[in-house]
Amino acid sequence: MEVKIIEKDNVLTAVLNGRLDTAVSPEVSAALQPLVDQADKTLVLDCKELSYISSSGLRIFLTVRKAAAAKGGKVIVKDINSEIRQVFMMTGFLNLFEIQES
Amino acid sequence: MRSIKNNHNLVAALQGAAVVLTAVGLLFLTSMLQYSRMREMVTRSSYRRAQDNIDRVEQDFVRVVELVESAVRNNIWSARALVPVPDSLWSITRGVVLDNPIVYGSAIALVENYNPSKSGRLFAPYAYRDGDTIRSAQLGTEEYNYLEHEWFKGALEAGDAGYWSEPYYDEGGGNRLMITYSVPVRDHTGKLAAVITADVAMNWVSDRLASVDDYPGALKMLISQSGNIMATSPPYESMYRKSILDLSRDMDKASAFDAVNQDILAGKEGSRRVHIQGEDYYIFYDRMNKTGWSMSISIPEDEIFSEIRHLNRRMLGLELLGLMLLLVILLYTIFNQRKLLAVQEKKGRIESELHVASGIQESMLPKTFPPFPSRHDVDIYATLVSAKEVGGDLYDFFIRDERLYFCIGDVSGKGVPASLVMSVTRSLFRTVAGHEKSPVRIVANMNQNLVEMNINDMFVTFFCGVLDLASGHLRYCNAGHNAPVILSADASVVLPVVPNLPLGVMPSMSFTEQETDLACGSGIFLYTDGLNEAEDQSNNQFGTERMMHELDHSLSANQQIERLEGAVRSFVGTAPQSDDLTMLYIRYLNDSPMEKKERHLILHNDIQQIPQLADFVETVGQLAGLSSSLTLSLNLALEEAVTNVILYAYPEGSDGLVDIEAIIHKDHLKFIISDSGKAFDPTAAPEVDITLDVEDRPIGGLGIFLVRNIMDSVQYERVDGKNILTMSKNLQ
Repeated sequence: MEVKIIEKDNVLTAVLNGRLDTAVSPEVSAALQPLVDQADKTLVLDCKELSYISSSGLRIFLTVRKAAAAKGGKVIVKDINSEIRQVFMMTGFLNLFEIQES
Repeated sequence: MRSIKNNHNLVAALQGAAVVLTAVGLLFLTSMLQYSRMREMVTRSSYRRAQDNIDRVEQDFVRVVELVESAVRNNIWSARALVPVPDSLWSITRGVVLDNPIVYGSAIALVENYNPSKSGRLFAPYAYRDGDTIRSAQLGTEEYNYLEHEWFKGALEAGDAGYWSEPYYDEGGGNRLMITYSVPVRDHTGKLAAVITADVAMNWVSDRLASVDDYPGALKMLISQSGNIMATSPPYESMYRKSILDLSRDMDKASAFDAVNQDILAGKEGSRRVHIQGEDYYIFYDRMNKTGWSMSISIPEDEIFSEIRHLNRRMLGLELLGLMLLLVILLYTIFNQRKLLAVQEKKGRIESELHVASGIQESMLPKTFPPFPSRHDVDIYATLVSAKEVGGDLYDFFIRDERLYFCIGDVSGKGVPASLVMSVTRSLFRTVAGHEKSPVRIVANMNQNLVEMNINDMFVTFFCGVLDLASGHLRYCNAGHNAPVILSADASVVLPVVPNLPLGVMPSMSFTEQETDLACGSGIFLYTDGLNEAEDQSNNQFGTERMMHELDHSLSANQQIERLEGAVRSFVGTAPQSDDLTMLYIRYLNDSPMEKKERHLILHNDIQQIPQLADFVETVGQLAGLSSSLTLSLNLALEEAVTNVILYAYPEGSDGLVDIEAIIHKDHLKFIISDSGKAFDPTAAPEVDITLDVEDRPIGGLGIFLVRNIMDSVQYERVDGKNILTMSKNLQ
C-alpha cells in the first residue's frame, strides 16, 4: 500500500495505491494526517489505484470527512472501482462523500 | 512364595550338609585305612630295622668272639708246653690281656692236684686290667674254688670247641660282671691239665647295646643260650643273670610275652606285639649265630607309631580344615544362590510387569484389522514392533464426523520412560482430536500439554492427519517426523512437509498446517525411523530407497505392510532389532467423492497476517470459480470477521490461533471461523444506521455490518470453549 500527498493550488490530493486492509490501516492513517490537519482546504482522495478497502479504511475516510466537516473543508473521492463503490453503497458512504469520476 | 523359598534354602542346606558329612565319613574311613596300612608299613620297617640292628650287633659280637677265641686258642700251645712249669703260666695270661684290648682278664686254671708239689691243689694265675696297668692274681684259693665255676666246668664239658659262660659276677676274679671263654688244655701226654680263659667285661657288651641306634624308649636285651639275661640297654643290672622265664613269671601272665620268651629260648626269630603293665610293646628278637645268644629289642608301640599318629592327625586336621573350607564355600554359595534367586525373582516380577505394561500399551492402539469392516471407502493396516518389552512408538486413528483422524509418533529414547511418554501422547491425541478438527491445532495443543508436563528432555516426533472421507481432502501437520509417502497410480512420492520441531521441545511453537487431496485408490504410508534405519549385521541401514522400492499402490494395506515387514526381516537377518518399528498405511477408496472442496487456514492473532487471508480467499475463489468481484466481497467479509477475532478474542500480548475453514459446495460456500478466545458473539452487535449525517456517524461498528451485508447467513455458536462463526454465501 502506497500513499502520496500532493498539494497544488490549495488542493491536497492523497494518491492511494494498493489494498487498504486492516494490516496497513495504521500506517495509512498516519500518512493521511496532513489532510486531517488541513481539513479547511479541498481534500482529494485519489482512489484510481485503490483495489480494496476494508472497514478500517472506511474509518480513515470517515475521520478525514469529519475533520473537513468541522473545519469547513471539502472532501472529494475520485475514481473508485466498482467493488469499492458497492462497499460505499452498502455503508451509506455514497451519501457522505462527493464521488468524482475522471 | 516365602515358605517355598525357605524350603528351597533348607533343602539346599541339607543337601550341602549331607555332602559334607559324607565327605567327613569317607575322610575318616580313608584316614583309618591309611593309618592301618601305615602301621603295617611302619611295623615292617621297625622289624627290619631291629633285625638290621641285631645283625650289626651280632657281627660285632662275632668279631669280638672270634678275637677272644683266637686270643685264647693262640695260647693253647704255649700253655700246654708250660703247664709243667706253673709259674711260667703268668706270662701267658699277661700276654693275652696285653695283646687283646678287648680281653679284660685271662686265666690258666690247672685241674685239681695237677702238680701238687709245685702249685698245690688249686693253681690259677690270672692277669687283669686295672685302668692302664695289668695286674696279676692267683685265683686258686680255698675261698674261690674255681673248680665249681661254670667257666671251668663248661670248658671241660665242651672240650676243644671251647665254652662261653653265662654272664656272671666274678667276685674272686675280675670283680665285675663278665663272660668268659674257656678252652681245656691238655699236656703233652694228652692228659687234661688246665683250662685257659679270657674274660670279656659285660660293660663293653652293654656299651655296644647302648650304641644301637633305635627308638629312644627301646629296651635292648642280650640273652644267653640258656635264657639268662646277659646285658640290657639301658642297663638294669638287677635283671642280669636272671632267666627271661623269670621275667615273664614276675610280670602278668601275658601269654604273648611268654610266647616271646619261649621263642627266644628255642632260638627262634620273630616279632610280637605284647601287652605289659598297661602298655603295648613290639618285641623283635633273633638268635645270633656263632654265639648262640639271642637279642631282643622291645619298643613301646606309642613310640613306633607316634610319628605316624602325629602325621595322621596332622593330615586329618588338614583334611578337616579343607572340608570346613568346603562347607564355608558351600554355605556361601547357598547364600549367594539365595540372593541370586531373590534378584531373579525381582527380575521376573519386573519382566512380568513389563509384559503387562506392554499389553496395556498394545491395547491402547487400534489393532483389529480391518478396523472399520462396514466401510468401503478406507483400507487401513498398521503394525508396531517394539525393540524392547515396551516401546516409544505410537500410531492411532479413529473416525469422527466422517473424518479419519490419524497420527504416528516416535518418542525419543526407548524403554519404560519412552513408553510412559508414548501413553501420554496417545491419550492427548485422543482427547484433543476428540474436539479439534484441524491437525495444526491438535498438534499445537498437544505440544503445549507436553511442554507443560516437562517430559524430561524427551520429545516426540509426530505426524497428524485429518482425512475428509467424503472428499478425499487431507489436512496434515508434521512435528519433526519422517515425511509420509503418498502412493498413487502415477508414482510413490514423499509428501511435502514443513518439518517443524517435534512435540515437547518448545512452548508456543508455530506449527504449519498443510493439505492435499487423495484420489481414489491412492494412500498415505506412514512409518517411524525403525523402518528406514533398520540395520543388518554389518550396520547397513535399510534406507528409504529400499522402502520406496517395496511400495506398490495396487497392494492392499495389509499386503503392503506384510511385504515391507518381509523385506525388512530378510534384510536385517539375525541382527537384533535396535529400534521400535511402526508402519501405518491408509488407502482412500471412495470412488465417488462428493463435489465438495475444502481449504483451511490457521492464523495467529497478529494483524500482520491479514494478507495471508487475502491469498486464502483468492484461492478459494478460484477453486469455486467465483468472479473477482465476489471474491473481493468475500475477502472483505472474512477480513472483518477475522480482524474481530485477532483484535478482541485473546488477551493482549498472548498468542492465540484463528482457524478458518472454507468448504466449497456446488451451490454455496461456507466459512467457519473458530477461536479459543473469550466468548464473544459478533452477531449481537447493534445495527448501524447508514442514513446518519457525517457529524453523527460513529467511527466504528462497520465491520460486522459488512459481514452481515455480504453474507447470506451468519451464525455464532459457543462450543467446547470455542467461538465458532459460520458464514455462508449462496452461489446461485
